[in-house]
Amino acid sequence: MVELSTPVKWLLRAVALGYVFMLVAWPVALIVQQTFADGLTTLSDTLADPYVANALRLTAVIAFWAVVINVVFGVTISILLVRFEFPGKRLLSALIDVPLSVSPVVVGLALLLVYNGRTGWFGPTLESLGYQVIFNGPGMIMATCFVALPLVIREVVPVLTEIGDDQEQAARSLGANARQTFLRITLPSIKWAVVYGLVLSLARSLGEFGAVKIVSGNFTGLTQTATLVVEQKYQNFEQEAAYATSFILAAASVLCIVVVSLLRPKESHS
Amino acid sequence: MSLGPGGAVLDEPGAQQVTETRPARKRRSGSRTTLGQGSALGLGIALTWFSLLVLIPLTALVVTAAGGGWAAYLETLSNDQTFAAIRLTVTQAAVVTAVNVVVGTIIAWILVRDSFWGKRALDVVIDVPFALPTIVAGLVLLSLYGPQSPIGVNWANSETAVLLALAFVTLPFVVRTVQPVLEELDHDVEEAAASLGASRATILRRIVLPSLAPAIAAGAALSFARAISEYGSLVLLSGNLPFRTEVVSVRVLSFIEGGNTAAAASLASVMLAIALLVIVALDLVQRRVASRG
Amino acid sequence: MSIEVRGVTKTFGDFVALDNVSVSLPRGQLTALLGPSGGGKSTLLRIIAGLDTADSGSIEIEGVDATRLPAQKRNVGFVFQHYAVFKHLTVARNVAFGLEIRKRSKREVAERVDELLSLVHLSQFAHRLPAQLSGGQRQRMALARALAVEPSVLLLDEPFGALDAKVRKELRDWLRRLHDEVHVTTVFVTHDQEEAMEVADEIVVINDGRIEQVGTPDQLYDEPANDFVMGFLGEVTTLGTVKIRPHDIAVSPTPGLAGAIRGTVDRMLRVGFEVRLNVHTDQGQDVTVRVTRAQARSLGLVEGSEVWLTPAPVGLHAVLVSSMAGATPVPPTP
Repeated sequence: MVELSTPVKWLLRAVALGYVFMLVAWPVALIVQQTFADGLTTLSDTLADPYVANALRLTAVIAFWAVVINVVFGVTISILLVRFEFPGKRLLSALIDVPLSVSPVVVGLALLLVYNGRTGWFGPTLESLGYQVIFNGPGMIMATCFVALPLVIREVVPVLTEIGDDQEQAARSLGANARQTFLRITLPSIKWAVVYGLVLSLARSLGEFGAVKIVSGNFTGLTQTATLVVEQKYQNFEQEAAYATSFILAAASVLCIVVVSLLRPKESHS
Repeated sequence: MSLGPGGAVLDEPGAQQVTETRPARKRRSGSRTTLGQGSALGLGIALTWFSLLVLIPLTALVVTAAGGGWAAYLETLSNDQTFAAIRLTVTQAAVVTAVNVVVGTIIAWILVRDSFWGKRALDVVIDVPFALPTIVAGLVLLSLYGPQSPIGVNWANSETAVLLALAFVTLPFVVRTVQPVLEELDHDVEEAAASLGASRATILRRIVLPSLAPAIAAGAALSFARAISEYGSLVLLSGNLPFRTEVVSVRVLSFIEGGNTAAAASLASVMLAIALLVIVALDLVQRRVASRG
Repeated sequence: MSIEVRGVTKTFGDFVALDNVSVSLPRGQLTALLGPSGGGKSTLLRIIAGLDTADSGSIEIEGVDATRLPAQKRNVGFVFQHYAVFKHLTVARNVAFGLEIRKRSKREVAERVDELLSLVHLSQFAHRLPAQLSGGQRQRMALARALAVEPSVLLLDEPFGALDAKVRKELRDWLRRLHDEVHVTTVFVTHDQEEAMEVADEIVVINDGRIEQVGTPDQLYDEPANDFVMGFLGEVTTLGTVKIRPHDIAVSPTPGLAGAIRGTVDRMLRVGFEVRLNVHTDQGQDVTVRVTRAQARSLGLVEGSEVWLTPAPVGLHAVLVSSMAGATPVPPTP
C-alpha cells in the first residue's frame, strides 16, 4: 500500500478539510448560529406563524406518503430486477435511474403536461371524475415520489444480489410458499437496506423544492410546503423566519443521514 | 436400476462454469421469463405506476417539445437569453465537475487511506449536501458568502455564486463513487509494484489511478448531470439575472410561469437528453468495469 | 423405487446440462452422483428437488409424479454447498423453520428441534446465530434443518465442498453413520471420487449431461464401463495396448512371463507406504507403476534398474459390465 510522504499527506488533508469546511461545515454552522442568535425566540415565533406551521405539516404529510409509496414500489422492483428474468429488464433497470439525473424543474413540467386540469393528457378526464392532481396533494406527492424514486432501489438491489437466493431456495425446499419466504427470509435479510433507503427517501422528500413548486402552484397556506415557505420568507425580507424554517428542515435531514451513518457500520459486522 | 440411453452432448468449456461455480444463480437466455403468476402481477402494477409517474410524463414532455417542429425548437434555443443561460450552465457545470474530480478524489483518498481525528465527522459532513433541501443549501451559502458575510465577501447574485451552489450540491458524487472502489483496491498489487521497483508516484499513476478511473468518470458524469439540472440552491443565491446568472432550469421555470409551455418543453427536453446521455454513459462504464472483473 | 427420473433434458441457453437422463434410485439407499464439474450432476439434483425445472422428462418421488410440483410441496430435504443458513435466525430457529411453516404445535417443534440438534451434536449452540458457527457446524445445522421436516428424500449438493480436508473427512464418516441411523433415501452430489467410494452404497457417474455408469463402488472401480469411468475413479496408465491401474502391474527383475515388457526405472518416488515408479519401456512408453515399499525393497529397485512389466490378473480393461440386481448395461462410449 502506497504511503505518502508527510508533507504531501498534510497538503491533501488541508485541501480536503479546507474545502469541505468552507463549502459545507461553516455555512451550515452559521444557519444554526443565526437561528439561535436570540435564544429560542426566533424558532418559537416562526413555529407560531400559522403559514409556517401549516407548511411544515403539509411537508410531513407529503413526505410520509411519498416514502410509503417509494418503499413498497422500490422493494417490489428490486426483487423483480434481481430475482426474475423478463423481457425488457435491462431497459427498466436503466430507466429506474432516470429520476436521479433529471432536473426537478423538468419533473414538474412533465407532470404538469400530463395531469394539469385544463390541457393535460389525463388531467381533464381525471378532473371530471373528481380527482384534481395538479395544484393539489396528489400532484405534490407524485413529484416527490419521482425525485426520490431510485433511492430505495439503489440500496436494496446490491444487498439482494449479494445475499443470493440460497436462503430463499432453502426456505422453499422446507415447504415455505412465496409469501412465507418473503416475510420470513427475504425481508429480514434486506431489512437494513430498506431502512437506509427509507431514511434517504425521507430526507429527499422533506427537501424537494423545484418539482413541488411547479405542480403545487405555491398557494400560500394551501399548497405551500416548508421549502416554498423558506423561499417566500426570504424574498419578503423575513430572513429570521427563513433561517428558522431552514434550520428545522436541515435538522430533520441531517438527523436522517446521521441515523444512516450510525446504522451502517453495524450492518457490515453481522 | 435402469439407465436411459445417452444422446448427443454439446460440450463447451466456457459454459461448464455455469453449473458448478455457484449453485444459486444460473445464466438464462435473455428473452425468457421466470415470472410466476404473483410476480407477474407485481411487475404489472409496478410498471403501471412507473409509467404514470415517469414514462408518460417524460413522453409528454418530448411530444410537446416536438409539437412545434424543428423551427420552433431552434427558435427557442437560439433566443439570446436562453442561449446565454445554456452557455452559463454548461460552463459552470464543467468547471464544477473538474473541481470535483480533483477534490473529490482527494477527499475519497483521505477517507480511505488516511487516519486522523475527525475523519468520521468528515465522512458524515460529505453527505450533508445530499440530504439538505436545495433551497436551504442556497440559504446556507448566503450566510457565509452573501451580503452579511462574516468573512467580508459578497458573492450573491454573481457567477461565483452559481459556481458555489453547484459545487455544494455536487460535492458527494465523486467522493461516494470513488471511495468504495478505493476501499476494495487490492493492496497486494501496489506491494507487488513496489517490490518490482516502482516509486510511489509511479504506483499512484500507473496502478492506483487507472483502477479508480471508471469510478471517477462515473462520479464526474453524475456531478455534471446534477449541476446541469440544479435549481433550488440557485434561486436565492444567484439572483437569476438574465444574461449573467440565469441558469437553464430557472429559464424553464420562467417559461412555465409565463405560460409558454412549448418553449419550456423544448428547453426541458434538452436537459432530459443530457440526463439520458449520462445514464447511458454510466451504464456503459459499469458494464465495462463488470466485464473486466 | 424412491426416485424415478425419466428422460430429463435441461439446457441453459445453448449449453446442454442434462441430455435425456433416466435413472431410478432405490429407497433407503445412500447414492452418490459423481462426476466432473459442469457434468450436470448438480442440475439433476436441483431438478429432483424442484429448484430448477426440466425442459422435458418427468420426476417421480415415492410413487407421486412430482414433475409439476413446486419445491415446497415435494417434501424433500435439500442441503446446499454453501449451507444457505438463515443468517438472521438462531440455530434452533433455523432447524425449526420447516416445522413452523407446517404449523406444528410449539411443544412438538421444541421437542423435535432438541432431538435433531443432539443428533447433529449442536445442542449447546441452539441459541447462537449461524455466524458464530464453523463451516462444519453450519453444514450439520443445515442437515438437521433438512431432516426436521421428515423428508421422503434427502438431497445434498456438494455438502462438504466448501470445507477443509480434515473436517470434510470427519463429516463424511459422520454422514455415513447418520444414514445408517435414520435410513432416509439420500442422494448426494460430489466431484470427489474418494468421497463417493467411501460413503455411498451406489454411485451414478454423470459426465457431459449423460449417465456413464451406475453401480456399487467396487463395481465401478473393478469393472468400469468405459475409459471415462475408469479414468475418473482412479489413476490409469497404459502398458503396451492395455489401460490399467498402476498398482495392477506386476514388476519382476527377470523376463519370467510371456509377453512381459522390458523397461528401465526412470524415477522412484516414495509416498508414505508406497513407491511410485516411472518406467521407460523399450517401446518408448512411460508407464506409471505403484508397488509397496516392501516389494520395492525385495526387488532391489533403484533408479536405473532393469525390470519386466506384466498386467496383474485383476483390473484388466476387457470384458467389463456384469449385470447386478436390476442394473441395465450401459453402452460403452465410442
